[in-house]
Parts: sequence; structure tokens; C-alpha cells
Amino acid sequence: MIKFISLLLYSVYILSFCFSQTDSAKKADSLLLMQIQSEMQQTPTSQPKQRVAASANPDISVIGDFRGLYRSYGYHNFDAVLNEAEFSFQSVVDPYVRADFFYSIGEDAATGNFSSEIEEGYLTTLSLPAHLQLKAGRLKQQLGRVNPVHAHALPFADMPDAFVNFFGEEGLKGDGVSLSWLLSNHTFFQELTVEATNVSNNPSFERSKKNNYLYLAHLKNFWDLSANATLELGLTGMQGENLSKKITNIGAVDLTYKWKPVRYNTYKSVTFQNELYYSQAMLDSSTVNAIGFYSMLNIQVAKRWFLAGRFDYSNTPYSAQFVQQSGSLTLGWYATEFQKIEIEGKYTTMNEALPENHNEKNFEMAYLRWIFVIGTHGAHQY
Amino acid sequence: MKTKIALTIFTIIASIKISLSGTIHVVTTTQDTKSIAELIGGNKVDVFAIATGYQNPHFVDPKPSYIIKLSNADLFVTLGLDLEAGWSPSLLTSSKNKKIQKGSNGYVDASVGVTLMQVPSAINRAEGDIHIYGNPHYWLDPLNGKIIARNICNGLEKISPENKDFFESNLKIVDAQIDLKMKAWTTAMASFKGTKVIAYHNEWCYFENRFGLTIVDFMEPKPGIPPTPSQLVKIIKEVKENNIKVIITSPYFTASSSDVVSKQTGAKTLVLATSVGAFDEIKTYYDLFDYNIKLLTTGLK
Repeated sequence: MIKFISLLLYSVYILSFCFSQTDSAKKADSLLLMQIQSEMQQTPTSQPKQRVAASANPDISVIGDFRGLYRSYGYHNFDAVLNEAEFSFQSVVDPYVRADFFYSIGEDAATGNFSSEIEEGYLTTLSLPAHLQLKAGRLKQQLGRVNPVHAHALPFADMPDAFVNFFGEEGLKGDGVSLSWLLSNHTFFQELTVEATNVSNNPSFERSKKNNYLYLAHLKNFWDLSANATLELGLTGMQGENLSKKITNIGAVDLTYKWKPVRYNTYKSVTFQNELYYSQAMLDSSTVNAIGFYSMLNIQVAKRWFLAGRFDYSNTPYSAQFVQQSGSLTLGWYATEFQKIEIEGKYTTMNEALPENHNEKNFEMAYLRWIFVIGTHGAHQY
Repeated sequence: MKTKIALTIFTIIASIKISLSGTIHVVTTTQDTKSIAELIGGNKVDVFAIATGYQNPHFVDPKPSYIIKLSNADLFVTLGLDLEAGWSPSLLTSSKNKKIQKGSNGYVDASVGVTLMQVPSAINRAEGDIHIYGNPHYWLDPLNGKIIARNICNGLEKISPENKDFFESNLKIVDAQIDLKMKAWTTAMASFKGTKVIAYHNEWCYFENRFGLTIVDFMEPKPGIPPTPSQLVKIIKEVKENNIKVIITSPYFTASSSDVVSKQTGAKTLVLATSVGAFDEIKTYYDLFDYNIKLLTTGLK
């Protein structure tokens, strides 16, 4: 009996160190009386006399993406279109989770028809122990620097060719769970994310009729090189079912250098961002190894002006012979945090003519994008 | 029954041992709340501030490296209102630290109890960056520093009640020191009561109110909108008409617009400190006002 009690006591002692949740709960219980006494003796601070009335509504915003498009081929080569209206609803649900919903309505420039979808809708835990966090629902997957970001927050009007060729215009997203763990590394930031999703159809992966979910692991590493400069290295691996009902494996690397002087961070900045995808698609009678990458340099030349240059190179997941290359330049004017206008010019060359490009191997495109936000929209990742 | 009692006693001892053994890790959003937290917490706390003193607190980049600090924090102190709305909530969520989430014992909103100025009756972004709860630059009134200190003290006592007497004793010292310093600061500024000045951004209303300055206009035509040529023409006219001697600005705004007005009118541009650490000699919350009062009284003579 004594042995049993000793063992039990020892277990409790160890657990109190291992689990902060357990630790906190017990600490709170044990010190409850002291806290009550303490709070009763404190001088109460007066409540503010003037505050905006409290609201239980979530943060609500609408983001408009209006654009003009020009293509150097075809008879109808200019379009004006409300490319997307994104409605977001974001709030803490209770002390344990928060919820984020993004509902998107998009217009097809060619037909003028609208389509809508829940772009993302997920909950995020706030109280898991051991620096763990779980997301569950429909979510953009933790792949590199472009995929998790909503298009309106990117510094260019079009998506990189490699991203489109491998994951589609809408990118990699699906319904499932995402578990992230903040590694106990006090030298630099490291976060490991693992995900299992019933993925939406995209060029590399199909939504499986069987139980072949998309499995993804992402390791994010982040260093402060100085007060003004940072470096991020992301490593991603994923596996899922392709259109041949066989397996595709993709490895991805992203590397981003940022320079932003702390004192004048609203006036000047430089971002050098690179992302590479390596795909191995197992088909019925062969295996295709394909790559794609982009390299982008974005320079903030004045408080409201940004200039971004990008080079794209890409195969497709099912053809290593197909090569698409392009260069683009984007000039952005950021009026405020809630409005920006971007003009992008892009030259593309391919080694195979495609019907969707009117069988042109070389062509130019231009975009004029006007982004505007009303309401309260949450911050984006660094 | 005996087992239950033994377990409870052991748990209490273990918990107290844990709480007594370590330093309290505090993360604040700004250097001002860091300074006050250090004055209250003394050697019981280790404080890290996210924003530097020479940085615009509205626009701090939410670097993942801050998440490391937040993930291990026992207490998080925010200036609150919507000052840090663009970066602090995402960092808090990413910290995966339930102790410091809003509503937890380790979350301190330093603005609780502050009487706010410029509270809008309606929100209209056509007026620029309007803060829905009121002007959030309240720490620039030293008497609000006492409220901040009270709030931080309450937060520390919640997570470390065994050190209550220590924190309360330090709070009394801070209150007394601010009261003592206030006499010197108000005396120094007394002869400049009602003096008209121009400010770059609308962030000095609490300072203006406490020390009796009159801010006539701002270099920004609307909060957050950079100075325009027409606004500079208007400012130049106002400076000449009102014989204004000083333009006050902050370390994180470029001097180009102020220089134009200075050259046209002879008014001096004074870069006041908005936070502790804005300049090397400003090491504490008291130094912040010592520096600004000295600079102003010299500049306004």
C-alpha cells in the first residue's frame, strides 16, 4: 500500500512538471485562497468611462479584388472583372478555440458567371498543452510561402507558374486536421506541422474515392540575422493520390530573406523569396519527376510604393518535357492598410503550344489589380 | 481518504515549489510597459518587450522569433485598445501558450481604468486611422503610468500571490516617484501652458492635456495618411499666423516634411521620445518624461 501511494505521489509530481495544463490547474486550486485574499485587498481600478459598446459579433470584413486583364493573343483579349469578393468572419469561440471562416465569391472573366465556395473554415485550439495547436476544418495547407496566404495579401496579381501548374490557381487546400508543434528550441524558431486532409482536386492530387488522404509535413525554421534582417527556411513533404489513382510525392523548399529597418519599417523593406517544388508522380506505366520554382525580389522603394520582380520556371506534374518560363514586374501603390493598386506586366515562353493560350508559345499578359477592404480583417503571417 | 489527503498535500507542496523556484517570465508589447513591469516585479521578473522604443507600435512585424518568448511567458502585458491590433493577436494565437491568452490570469490589458480621450461616436475610415476605443497613446500621460503600474501589479499578483507584498511595496514606490516627478515636470512646463505647437501624428493628446500644450494641427492630413503638399501649405500658413516655434514628431517618422516647414517658417523640429528606449539615455519610464520635458522647455524658449 505504501509503495502504491509513493508511486502515485511520484507520478503526480512528475506529471505536474510535464503538463503545464495539469500544473496550472493544480497550482490554481492550491493557491485559490491566496488569490482571493490578494484580489480582495487590491485597490479596484475604476472602469473606463468611455468605451465603445461591447459586441459579441465576430470580426467581419469584405475584401474586393477588382482587376483588368490583358493578353497578347485572341480576339477578346481584354477583360474587366470583379475577380473575387472574400467575406471573412473571425472570432474566439470560447476559452478553448477560435474560429475563422472565409467565404469567397469569384467571377469568371470569360463568361461573367459567379461561383462561390467556403475558401477556408476551421477552428484553432488555444489551450492544448506542450506547445501543440490543432486546426480542424477546411483549410489552406501549410505549403511554403504562397499557399497559406490569401491572394489579396500577395505582392503580385497572378500566382507563380509553378504554383499554378502543380497546385492550381486556388492552391492546395482540403478538409481535415492540421497539428502544429512549437519545438523547444530557444536559439531559433522551429515549428513542425503535420496535416491529413481530404484534398480538393488540383493538378497534382485528386480527392480520393478510397482512403488515400493527402498527408503533409512542414518544418518551418526562422532566424533573426540582425534586428533588421530575418531568414526563413521551410521544408515540406507531402503524399497523396493522383489522377491515375496512384501516389504522387512532392518535396518543397522555401527560402525567404527579409530586410526591414526597425525604425523606418513603414518606409523601406526588401523581401527575397524563393520556392521550389519537386514532384514524383507514379502513373500507370511510368513515373514522372518534375520541378518548378519561382524567385521573387520585392523592394519597398517608398512608404507607399513597392516594386516586385519575379522569375518563374515550371514543368507540369505529368510532363518533365514541358517547360514554361516567365518574367514579371509588379508596381504596387499601397494607399493605406485597406487599399492597394498593383500593375503587373508578364512575359511567358513555353516549349509547347497550348490551346488555352491560343497555341501561342510566347505571349504577354498585363494585370491591373485593385484590392480594397472594409471591416476588420485579421493580420497576415510575417 | 488518507491517500487523497496525502496526494492533495503533496500536490500543494509541489505546486508551491514550482511557483517559488522560477523567475516570472513577462512579455510586454512595448518598452514602456517593460520598464513599469521591471519596476514592479524587481528581481522576481524577467521582462522582454517586443517593440523597440524607436519603432511605431502600430506597425510591428509579427516575427516568429517573438513566438518563442511568448510561448514561455507567464504574463503578457498589452497596451490594449486597438494599438497592437495588427500584430499582437496573431502572435498570441501562434504562441500556443494558454496561460497568456485573453481572459487568462496571465493576460494584462494595461489600459483598464484609463479615461480615454478622443473616443469616436462613429467609425468612419474616411477620417484616416481612427481608433475605435479612443486614442491609444495614453502612456504618454505619467499619471496613466500609475494605472498601468496598478494593472501590471494586479497581473503579477494573480500569477504569483506569494509575492503580493513585494509587488505592492514596489507599486507604492512607483506611485510616489511619479507623484514626485510630476511636480518637477509640471513646474518646468508651467510657463509654456497654452503654447501652440504642430505635431506630426495624432499621438500626443494625453501629453498635451497633462502638460498644457495646444496642438494646433498635424503634419498628417488625416491619421496615417502621409503629409500632402496642400497640407504642408496649410501648416506653413498656420505656423506663421500663430508664431509657432516647434513641430513635434516621433523617431519613426522621416524628417522630410517637417524640414520643409522648418525651412519655410524657422520653426524647430523636435523629435520627442514616444517610448522608453527611443534614445540611448531613456532607460526607464521616468526618463521618458525627463527627456521630453527637457527637450521641449529648451526648444520652446
